[in-house]
Amino acid sequence: MKGRIFSIEEFSIFDGDGIRTTVFLKGCPLRCAWCHSPEGQDFVQEYLRSPNGCLSCGACLAAGNGKLSAASIDACPRGLIRAAGEDIEAAALVGRLSRHFDTLNRAGGGITFSGGEPLAQPDFLYECLSLLRGKTNRAIQTSGYAMQDTFTRIVGECDLILFDLKLMDPITHKRYTGVTNEPILTNYRAAAESGVKLLTRVPLIPGVTDTEENIEGICRFMRECGVHYAELLPYNRMAGSKYPLAGKVYAPPFDAEQTPTARQEIFAAHGIETKIL
Amino acid sequence: MTELVQSFLDYFRTRSYRKVRTTLPPMTFTEVERDRDRYFEAVLARITEAETPVLRHTGDIFGFNRTIAMRFEWDAYMNNHTPDYAWAIERGFDAILADFAQKALSADEEGRAFYTAASKSIMIVLDFCERYRLAAEQTGCAKLAKALENVPRKAARNYYEALVFMKILIFSQRASGVQHLTLGRFDQYMYPYYLASLEAGVSADDLLEETELFFISINLDTDVYFGMQQGDNGQSLMLGGCTAEQEDAFNALSETVLTASEELCLIDPKINLRVSAKTPLERYVRATRLTAKGLGFPQYCNDDVVIPGLVRLGYDYKDACQYTVAACWEFIIPARGYDVPNIRTLNFPLAVREATMESLADAETFEDFFAAVEQKIFAHFQAKRRAVTSRKDDLHRMPKNPYGSIFLTDCREKGRDYTACVTKYNNYGIHGLGVGPAVDALTAICRAVYEEKSVGKDELLAALENDFRDAEPLRRRLLACPKLGSGDEVPERLMVRMLQFYAGAVNLTPNGIGGIWRAGTGGSLDYVTMSRDVGATADGRHAGEPFPSSFSPSIGVRAAGLLSVIEAFTRPDMKNLINGGPLTIELHTNVFRNEEGVRKVAILVSEFIRRGGHELQLNALHRDTLIEAQKHPENYPDLIVRVWGWSGYFCELDLPFQNQIISRTDYQV
Repeated sequence: MKGRIFSIEEFSIFDGDGIRTTVFLKGCPLRCAWCHSPEGQDFVQEYLRSPNGCLSCGACLAAGNGKLSAASIDACPRGLIRAAGEDIEAAALVGRLSRHFDTLNRAGGGITFSGGEPLAQPDFLYECLSLLRGKTNRAIQTSGYAMQDTFTRIVGECDLILFDLKLMDPITHKRYTGVTNEPILTNYRAAAESGVKLLTRVPLIPGVTDTEENIEGICRFMRECGVHYAELLPYNRMAGSKYPLAGKVYAPPFDAEQTPTARQEIFAAHGIETKIL
Repeated sequence: MTELVQSFLDYFRTRSYRKVRTTLPPMTFTEVERDRDRYFEAVLARITEAETPVLRHTGDIFGFNRTIAMRFEWDAYMNNHTPDYAWAIERGFDAILADFAQKALSADEEGRAFYTAASKSIMIVLDFCERYRLAAEQTGCAKLAKALENVPRKAARNYYEALVFMKILIFSQRASGVQHLTLGRFDQYMYPYYLASLEAGVSADDLLEETELFFISINLDTDVYFGMQQGDNGQSLMLGGCTAEQEDAFNALSETVLTASEELCLIDPKINLRVSAKTPLERYVRATRLTAKGLGFPQYCNDDVVIPGLVRLGYDYKDACQYTVAACWEFIIPARGYDVPNIRTLNFPLAVREATMESLADAETFEDFFAAVEQKIFAHFQAKRRAVTSRKDDLHRMPKNPYGSIFLTDCREKGRDYTACVTKYNNYGIHGLGVGPAVDALTAICRAVYEEKSVGKDELLAALENDFRDAEPLRRRLLACPKLGSGDEVPERLMVRMLQFYAGAVNLTPNGIGGIWRAGTGGSLDYVTMSRDVGATADGRHAGEPFPSSFSPSIGVRAAGLLSVIEAFTRPDMKNLINGGPLTIELHTNVFRNEEGVRKVAILVSEFIRRGGHELQLNALHRDTLIEAQKHPENYPDLIVRVWGWSGYFCELDLPFQNQIISRTDYQV
């Protein structure tokens, strides 16, 4: 079946073991206030216009009857428009990725499905993972937001799960991501029990996720689930950089200038080893 | 690094000493009555007489730097080779003079003249060294004064003396007109002296300090050396590699050199590292830490490809195992070879354009057209070949350099100057420029004109003639065709075919001076200078737009990614392209920000080698490139920056974010 992706990134080196190729699936049910991939949020095809070098000549809009379209790509004299969103058959995608299996396998890596939220296209994702079985290491990078049976079915076809834990308080979670965290925590527990290698990742957002209370909560929860390692991703000021490209406005409801606190001592007190990426 | 090294480094960075150099007028050929036997000897005498021995700093424990600058009238000089340093250092000039005196007795007239002239130059050098010894005594550098009591008259006995000897050899050859003087396999020929010092009780730390002081000292004079650009001075140095017995030659001194280079962050010496499929990953990790410094080296050379490639060209296996690089990337043999590996450049995009304009209209199939391209490449090579036949005559007119020649084994054994072409290897190398755009143009014609028939021949020819004036939609269609590095089969297959033909046309063609021609994939400044006059090409490139440097995807192509680029550029049989010319990849410094990133880059390099790539240059991108990318984003669509748990294209980031990254790289590099 077909799925919608918005990017394939080769030589992805900070997202799991070895050298990996990451496929970004388009569309996400969450709207995290610090999201750095605005072009990955919507499920529909979009057109991105790089603002740098733009002559403001209007050719792109003229070609698309007032909005960006496929015709705008050819119309731009500087080549600044590109499409975000390509529909592709699972088998065709795996065929394209297969060129690099030898290299990826020797380099101890594999393929990672990220997004957007990969679990938001579960059938496509499942088919891709099934086709990759036995060929290379398969990972998903997920918020964990999905129906439990969907999650379990996907995890059964994974070799590695990169799982974000953001906020423990359900109300705060909803405020900053747009959704409640109940399915996420349930799925995290399932991931921990699945026997599949689990890599927990905690984004450190200043004043939001890096509070003592939240980190303490994450640690308690991880310990309950029997997980003893986490990677910490400190927020930096680049998160909003692609919003103008997608014609969106980045307005974080927290102090983006503040440096986040890693609070590794709290993790350590709970017997959780950490690494800052 | 020690305080002494730091202090000498700080002194070097002021460059204050350069302001007080005296410039002598260029030595003219008429001053020696246009006598080719005497010119460079006179140059050596003039410079050594005018020089004042000076030790510039307490860290300057080697001396033999320049206080004067002097150009030569004659621009044909010895260059781009690796002298036989070991021969001199392990004998000393006294023994060499005695040997030459002996050889002169049984030599023919030309030989006698050669040994006499060479001996005279050695005497000039020895006199100058004596002046240096006295100066060292007077200025209180007892260590140097003591070493100069022994070297260069006698063989070096330890690492320090060997370094002093090296410094004398570099100084004296440069002063006798040798340019682009390379340092060769330093970790091999200096290793016996390094071990001798260790055995005599000198600590590894002290030997590191001596190495670092030596490296700083060879940076002091680079402004008086000739080069295409500042820094283009030939001081490349090769580490590691295998022995003729297939053993790993990487040693403790190789480690020391890597450490010194990493600590100093100077442009000289330019580090090259010989590796193979057997090289342990840890060594790549070690070398990648040096890449992370942003200096653009080490450059990797693949023994598994280069040695068999040299053997195919007729080099003896044992000699091939000794290979090093010339000033840039051309593979040469120290001591036994005087190859001219950069004698001409073949302009691939020009050949493809000419074939297009002249033959596309009548070519019924793509195969017909490809045959026309092959004929064009062949004709270009023949034209280049004819253009250098006069060098044979020039060689008999060029000033001799007996002093420089004694560092070539065959010259000193046969009593002949280097201009007599008596070295075992006298080959010519041709650069192959613009592989990326040429293949992209072929692909566009294959795809758009012949397969899809979406572009008419007349339409294309008219657009190329007019540099795409009023044909922007057509140019867009051409730009949208697959490109080399975009992960597509067609351009890769066409590159393999084109390079196979080119190598077949060039390699082993006799060069008229007892050697052969060798095909390569490099192109020094040519990628700017030789692209200016090339009209529009079928890949969508406008007239005059630059080509990529060396063996790389076209400028402005959004490659599928690093894996695709590496896989594409290791597909041809690189053993046939052994004149060299590296795949050049630029990585943002962010990639190297922690040990995990460094290790994964190291894995990538090992993969390139395992796949049969011949040469690789990795650059950690620095601030200047980013600023340039900000001004001309259209040329840098592939510049990837690590932002935060993710990567993005630099040119797509909003201006303040770009500025943030630019300011960030200041401390990352």
